[in-house]
Amino acid sequence: MVKGLKYGRDRWYRIQEDDARCVVCAADPRSEPTWSVESLLPNKAQSADAPKISSKQLHHLLRLSALPLPETPEEEAKMLDTLSAQLHFVGEIQQVDTKDVTPLRAIRDETKAAEKEQTITLETLKDAFAQEKVIGKHHKRIQRDTTIPIDASDVEDWDVLGSAERKVGKYFVVDSERPQE
Amino acid sequence: MIPSTTRTTLAAASIRPSTHHSCRCYTSCLPLIKRKIYDRPLFRLLHTARESLKDDTPFRKALKDAAKKDKKEKREHLNRPSNPAKLRGPHVDNWELTVGIEIHAELNTVQKLFSGAATSVNQAPNTHVALFDMAFPGSQPHFQTQTLIPALRAALALNCDIQYRSSFDRKHYFYQDQPTGYQITQYYEPFARDGYITLYPHDFPPGSAHPNEPVTIGIKQVQMEQDTAKTIQQPPSTHLLDFNRVSHPLIEIITLPQIHDPTTAAVCVRKIQAILKAVNAATAGMELGGLRADVNVSIRPRDKQLTDYQHSYSGVTGLGQRTEIKNLASLKAVEDAIIAERDRQIELLEGGGVVEGETRGWTLGNKSTKRLRGKEGEIDYRYMPDPDIPPIFVDPELVDHLRSTLPRLSDESVHILTNGNQYNLTPKDASTLLALDDGERLDYYYDVVERLRARFAAEPAMEARIGKSAGNWVLMELGGLVRNEEWSSTRVPSEQLASIISHVLRKTITGRTAKTLLSMKYDGDERPVDQIIADENMLVRPLSDREYEELAKGLLEEKADMVRDIVEKNQFKKVKWFVGQMMARSAEGTVEPDKAEEVLRTLLPLPREN
Repeated sequence: MVKGLKYGRDRWYRIQEDDARCVVCAADPRSEPTWSVESLLPNKAQSADAPKISSKQLHHLLRLSALPLPETPEEEAKMLDTLSAQLHFVGEIQQVDTKDVTPLRAIRDETKAAEKEQTITLETLKDAFAQEKVIGKHHKRIQRDTTIPIDASDVEDWDVLGSAERKVGKYFVVDSERPQE
Repeated sequence: MIPSTTRTTLAAASIRPSTHHSCRCYTSCLPLIKRKIYDRPLFRLLHTARESLKDDTPFRKALKDAAKKDKKEKREHLNRPSNPAKLRGPHVDNWELTVGIEIHAELNTVQKLFSGAATSVNQAPNTHVALFDMAFPGSQPHFQTQTLIPALRAALALNCDIQYRSSFDRKHYFYQDQPTGYQITQYYEPFARDGYITLYPHDFPPGSAHPNEPVTIGIKQVQMEQDTAKTIQQPPSTHLLDFNRVSHPLIEIITLPQIHDPTTAAVCVRKIQAILKAVNAATAGMELGGLRADVNVSIRPRDKQLTDYQHSYSGVTGLGQRTEIKNLASLKAVEDAIIAERDRQIELLEGGGVVEGETRGWTLGNKSTKRLRGKEGEIDYRYMPDPDIPPIFVDPELVDHLRSTLPRLSDESVHILTNGNQYNLTPKDASTLLALDDGERLDYYYDVVERLRARFAAEPAMEARIGKSAGNWVLMELGGLVRNEEWSSTRVPSEQLASIISHVLRKTITGRTAKTLLSMKYDGDERPVDQIIADENMLVRPLSDREYEELAKGLLEEKADMVRDIVEKNQFKKVKWFVGQMMARSAEGTVEPDKAEEVLRTLLPLPREN
């Protein structure tokens, strides 16, 4: 059972029953550190050996992220340097042994009690089931009653087009062409 | 049991406004009234609008263009000596086709997937949009639990294992119809896995080559995800956006690559569509844009010795490089696009080329698929768990409840209608009844049968005839009248049809009279059938013995030469001619052929034998 976190010797420790372990490498605070924040950043020599990222790869990534392409060769070189440093950092993080560790997706209550509370049951859906009817005398079918009026004004009552830069009638307007491959 | 003329009529009703060649019918048996919908450009796009630029072209224009193109090709073909090698086409028989399908279907829900905004069709643009649907900064997704109901029903109907825990992930890409910059889907933990669908011979369109045994196709998984906004093209490069559809709940159904035939692929999509409708999970089919299919197509040589086929999809190994054809909006498009892509790949490989992994498009009426873009690797989507949406836990009791209350599926209905003597229908008639009028016709049929059984309660031997006869009258006779109109089960109340059928089965009225009665009722005659029969003096009145004799005598005197042929030349077959004449000269149903022959033989006289 984790009781808390504490910071010391350049890293975070998870405090357990009568023990504290580094959150990254699980070493205890007395042992010689196996890593440091410094090691996450590339030094000059390392960045030279770092895997080379091609201009083509950079452009591909920028396109996927909808970011503008560099305008000058200098700008591109700077981007490649930054990316390379970031990749070194990611490479170091990937060294951590995460076998049997469930990835942390969000900070939320993951106890059994909370899970039970979140579980979707017949009771959770009883209003929705009440809006269904069975049709047919012999060949019975289920039909959601679409004649029941829906009042969604609490979430729909706002000026949807209010911050649109361009609009035509009730539509948003976007100009775009398919990129040529 | 349905004569072929009626089948053709049913089929004709379902074919879209004619393309260049007669097409096989999958959406069989939709009444004509529904066809009108096709004439309007109601195309809507599900989630993959990036590759769908063409699909916003009005449907009519697409058809016109296709017809034009076809005409032009035919003209060129006539002017040029044909190349026999080209005519024979690629060597289809040497290659095995493998297809996997992804089907996106709009769920029948009140609200969107992650907001309380209402789902809508054909409403004023941008009127059903919550802050989160527009990715307004600071807004958060709220999973709408009731959207699970149709999703779970669909997955149960596809025989899937429902997962106790599932979760949502972000699939990143930038396009104007997806304001968050990612689509929320279920990549790592879908809510349903490992299902299957079985295709029976009667699921295949009449006249198509179909397997004799049922074909089972595995469903890898079913996941929930968001739809995108609707885009209206304003050529050349302007897009009008309506966010009413953004985040409409969808399910994506992914089959295993276990389909090896284009027709089977189309039949599979059609059956999934019918299943989704049967359990009320989806209401709009492909014709309304409520369902779209992507197909993954690869080929490999039938000679498995070759070692160049090392691709594996969903655990199926030894396959060729696949391509994906996106956004197919009709069953015909599914079949034709697969055929075109198969032939393109064969031609490419036989010419020494290599199939590239890429996304391709297909436009109605085209003879080949067209490259849209290199396939984004899955890594390019940078899938990540959505930290804003808690995992979904589904109570097994809820699943049990949905399973036990699931409407009866078509396979079971067909089984009940065709096996044993209970209903005695052919599989074709059973599936036609099921497909008509959203199940209303089948319900009516059951009602007619129930009423007939009550009328024949003392005659259990009649049971086998009741089911078949009622099927004939509901599908054929009544079906013929309804053909061009909207179905209504009250127009000829089931009790009245049962009354007509029982008279026919008891031979108290003739078949012709029964048909007349039916059209009188259909056209609004408010008198009960029995009263019409009495008023109009429609009952069959058999001839008395004396009348039989008088009729026979008159005939024999009239045709003395034929009598001589029979008596002197032993041409006994001519007796039958007299029987026919006796029947023809009396009111329908009043002369029984056996009795007529007996009377004739006595008068001639002739021994009973020969």
